[in-house]
Amino acid sequence: MLVLAAALPAAGAFAVWGLRRRPSVHWIGAGAAALGFAAVALLPLERGSGAWVSAGGKLSGAWWHQVSVEWAPSLHLEFSLAVDGVSWTLALLTALLGVLCCVHNAVGAEQRAADLLGADRAASASLQVPAGSFETGGPSPAARRAAGVPAGGGAPPGDGASGPVQDPPGSVETGGPLPAAAPVHGVPSGAGGEGSDGDRWQSPTLTALLLAVQAAATLVFLADNLVLFFIAFEAVLLPMWAIIHRFGDPAARRRAAAKFALFTVAGSLLMATGLFVAIADTGTADLGAIIVGGGVDDDASLLVFALLALGFAVKAPLWPLHSWLPDAHTAAPTVGSVLLAGVLLKLGTYGLIRVAGGLAPDGAETAAPVLAVLASLGILVAGLVCLRLPELKRLIAYSSVGHMGFVVLAFAAGTEAGIRAALFGNLAHGLVTPLLFFLAGALKARTHTGSLGALGGLRLAAPALAGLLGFAALASLGLPGLAGFWGEAFTVYAAAERGGAWLVPAAAAAFGAFLAAAYLLRMLRRVSHGPVAPAVIGVGDVSAAEAAVWAPLVAGTLLLGLVPGPLLTLFSEGLL
Amino acid sequence: MRVQAIDHAAMLPLYLAAAAAVLALFAGRFAKGASMTGLAAAAAAAVWVGLGPDRATFAVGDWHSYVADDAAMGAAALFAALAVLVAALSGRQAGEYWFLLTASAASGVALAGARDLITLTVAVETLTLPLYVLVARPGRDGAEAGTVFLIASVTASATALMGSALLYAATGTVHLDGLAAALPAADPGLTAAGAALLLAGLAFKLAAAPLHAWAPLVLDRAPLPVAAYLASASKLGGAVAVTWVVHFGLSGTASAGVAVAVLSVASIAVGNLGALVQRRTVPLLAWSGIAHAGYALAPLAVVATAAGREHAGAAASAAFAYAVFFVLLEAGAFAALTAVRPETGALFASDGRRTPRADLASGGPQGSVLKTDAPISTDAAIDADAARGAITARPGAAASHAGHRSPGGAVAELTGLWKSAPLPAAVLLFAVIGLAGLPPALAGTFAKVAVLEVLASSAVWLAVVVAAGAVLGLAYYLPLARTVLTGRAGPAPRRHAVALVLAGLALLAVSLAPQLVLDFTALSR
Repeated sequence: MLVLAAALPAAGAFAVWGLRRRPSVHWIGAGAAALGFAAVALLPLERGSGAWVSAGGKLSGAWWHQVSVEWAPSLHLEFSLAVDGVSWTLALLTALLGVLCCVHNAVGAEQRAADLLGADRAASASLQVPAGSFETGGPSPAARRAAGVPAGGGAPPGDGASGPVQDPPGSVETGGPLPAAAPVHGVPSGAGGEGSDGDRWQSPTLTALLLAVQAAATLVFLADNLVLFFIAFEAVLLPMWAIIHRFGDPAARRRAAAKFALFTVAGSLLMATGLFVAIADTGTADLGAIIVGGGVDDDASLLVFALLALGFAVKAPLWPLHSWLPDAHTAAPTVGSVLLAGVLLKLGTYGLIRVAGGLAPDGAETAAPVLAVLASLGILVAGLVCLRLPELKRLIAYSSVGHMGFVVLAFAAGTEAGIRAALFGNLAHGLVTPLLFFLAGALKARTHTGSLGALGGLRLAAPALAGLLGFAALASLGLPGLAGFWGEAFTVYAAAERGGAWLVPAAAAAFGAFLAAAYLLRMLRRVSHGPVAPAVIGVGDVSAAEAAVWAPLVAGTLLLGLVPGPLLTLFSEGLL
Repeated sequence: MRVQAIDHAAMLPLYLAAAAAVLALFAGRFAKGASMTGLAAAAAAAVWVGLGPDRATFAVGDWHSYVADDAAMGAAALFAALAVLVAALSGRQAGEYWFLLTASAASGVALAGARDLITLTVAVETLTLPLYVLVARPGRDGAEAGTVFLIASVTASATALMGSALLYAATGTVHLDGLAAALPAADPGLTAAGAALLLAGLAFKLAAAPLHAWAPLVLDRAPLPVAAYLASASKLGGAVAVTWVVHFGLSGTASAGVAVAVLSVASIAVGNLGALVQRRTVPLLAWSGIAHAGYALAPLAVVATAAGREHAGAAASAAFAYAVFFVLLEAGAFAALTAVRPETGALFASDGRRTPRADLASGGPQGSVLKTDAPISTDAAIDADAARGAITARPGAAASHAGHRSPGGAVAELTGLWKSAPLPAAVLLFAVIGLAGLPPALAGTFAKVAVLEVLASSAVWLAVVVAAGAVLGLAYYLPLARTVLTGRAGPAPRRHAVALVLAGLALLAVSLAPQLVLDFTALSR
């Protein structure tokens, strides 16, 4: 099951790429992702419950399952996977986002195909049959579904044939909820679409790359061997680079992709050096064994932690190593942003908490003040920057820097509450921020702008979309009852609990939470409220397919917010 | 009179390779077949000997001049196999070509077993000697390349011989085992000077700084199959020579570690910075090869410290393993490049033997010349700058000759290769990504892991240097990969499919089962 969890998406990636000429290939990808999700979801079955082991004097949890195959013993490399409460939740999140992204892609591609088909048929039909036949004819359901889904790309509004022909089915079939939306249906579903998302045409490759990222990330979370961890960590890079580079925003993608790749490789090689110092020091590359054994020797500990933390801080990202993130997010396509926020950043924090903290607990203790200062600075800087940012995706990206600051600060505090807060905040961010990116992507696809100044009045034009955006923003700013709250609240609590100088970062974090509220509400005011901006006039509201993709994230956010207990129990059983 | 007993089984691979060379010289039109069969037999024999017990021969006391252990036979098999690959890529050539190529490969086999400085030097010289002729394409550019290579090589040989002489003066022996035993008691100044000169001279073959500047120029102008040989087998020769000397002879000598560290850091810096500005494929690979030479040397530097000397064996193994992975990837990259570039034609095509095809390729105007005239002239200026720095004190020699054709072509000419020629493009991509050290081309990742593991245990600062170099490397490898992947192009020539498939399969095999390589690269005394 452990192997399947990583192998299924990888096999799916190959299958999708190999069959990329087939029309239904997206659903193969989504199916592979779903099977991977099922494999991960089944992992808790038959877990060894109550297997507590003593680690360096304190009790710790243990792996649920373990599997191990020799690979290259002279490099200390084993294909060794293991799972516990900490890695399972993250692997589950990865698999969930993988499925959602694949479905998002599949729906987008199908809708696009339907558009082309519809346009073709309509063009030929309009010559022969009167428009009335569309009520029962082929293209109308497609056109209706097409109305809300963003993937149509930027069609020129006055696109000759499709505009007038597709209007009738729109007004006939979906006239109900939104009179204003009906005439617009022809716009996003136009056949021209070579706008900013025009590369969707190639999206089987995109699905394959998404699956590759999912497979590699799952492997990172499940790896029990440090060399395997490093290899999987590196394996995430190339597919993600390709996603940004190939499918990103044409204006910025090259630079953003290059920046992403260079930052990430620098980080992961530093991390590798740290890992190998630890391997040389302990003589084994078994992550679990090193953690149980209490980490590396005292004199190597600080060096190991510094190298590892530097590597993971790039990925997390921790201020001041964050500068690749806003660029990458802004340039990446929607699904790319979702994976970046939901999965790649998690690699950094997971590594920091599990690997860096586990291998070098003493070094973590020594370096904690530095981390705390950087993290709280990150929170404040991100908050202040966000207050002035004019672009939606960039704003969300910068807010990620702030959220990750909370996670790192909680980890730095080092208390039990702190570690749990870090893990919880990590997971919550993995649900909320992808939702925000999905929404921002949908909004951008509808309005063709991400600029806050050009948006406004979404509440009137698309109430459901505005409502979801408000929900996600509130979750992101940490409203009690939603997922974001527990992580941030406990972070401040954990830092304050340490007392003394730790009150300063605690206060900074609290002020950062206030800033988050300020900038997210500002974002909401600009986007949802006020008079209806020209770009927003007549955008379609949330479609059924979109709702289906977003629903798990919304449900997860609510669930984590209302019932945090089981998750915290899972974390406390983790091997840390 | 006592007669030395010779273990002929240990010498079998060398016999076969040498016989192949002789056969190639006299076989006339069957020379290619003779050389490839002979070399393949030599490779098979090397594998067979390597799988058996370790053998050694030409003994003086306990010290052997020729050893056939796992590492030596693995290297020998690799030499022969790379030469077979190069032969397969070479197309139709005259008999001399096959003789020279096979002779060079045979001396590679000899080098792998060499355990004293004289055998080693002779093997390295014999490895290099045929290449003076092979790199020189007809025409002025080729002659220039040949001359540069000759001058650089002679300089390096003189340096290495001087170093050997100093070491001999210090210890009174040329056997590597003898050096290891005698050096700790020898005069430290003499030892340091000798070690530094010997290693710098041998590093010439590896194209490590400071004797690196020949590589981009010569590789760019040599015919592509010969460039492939220079970048793979010949570099393996350099790596083997340096590794053997350091591991068997100088592993207790701190000054050797310092010398290697200097070579390594200089190579990493120079190679990466040089590669960043390249716009043509072969110079880019050549400059990055200099950086890779630095990575391969880096583990050997740990003998500079007392802690590092404790696991000098592991360090030498890592260096050797890196070199093996690296030359495999280089061979893949050059093989793919050879397959998609226009043929360079026969090297020794005299008027009587000139085939119509050779005429067309080397004499007739080519479509690509007009198209790429401008970028080539600027790059030639850059190259001239680089070359002027170290070896050719002939300013503007290359720049004045702006219209020359480099067989490798510009990077931009690879645009759309993925669409037009998927097989070579896939091998090229795999090799380039592997050189960048990234999964899914795990061969390169394993190489990097091997080096970093050793460095992390005893020289963390060097590990950080290697990491920084690899980051810089990404800055030129990724654009190269992007160029291959994106865009569209007309149909590319499809040749050497079998050789490419075999090279690709070999790369895939060592990616999935690195233990294949790591087993024979594990050095023992």
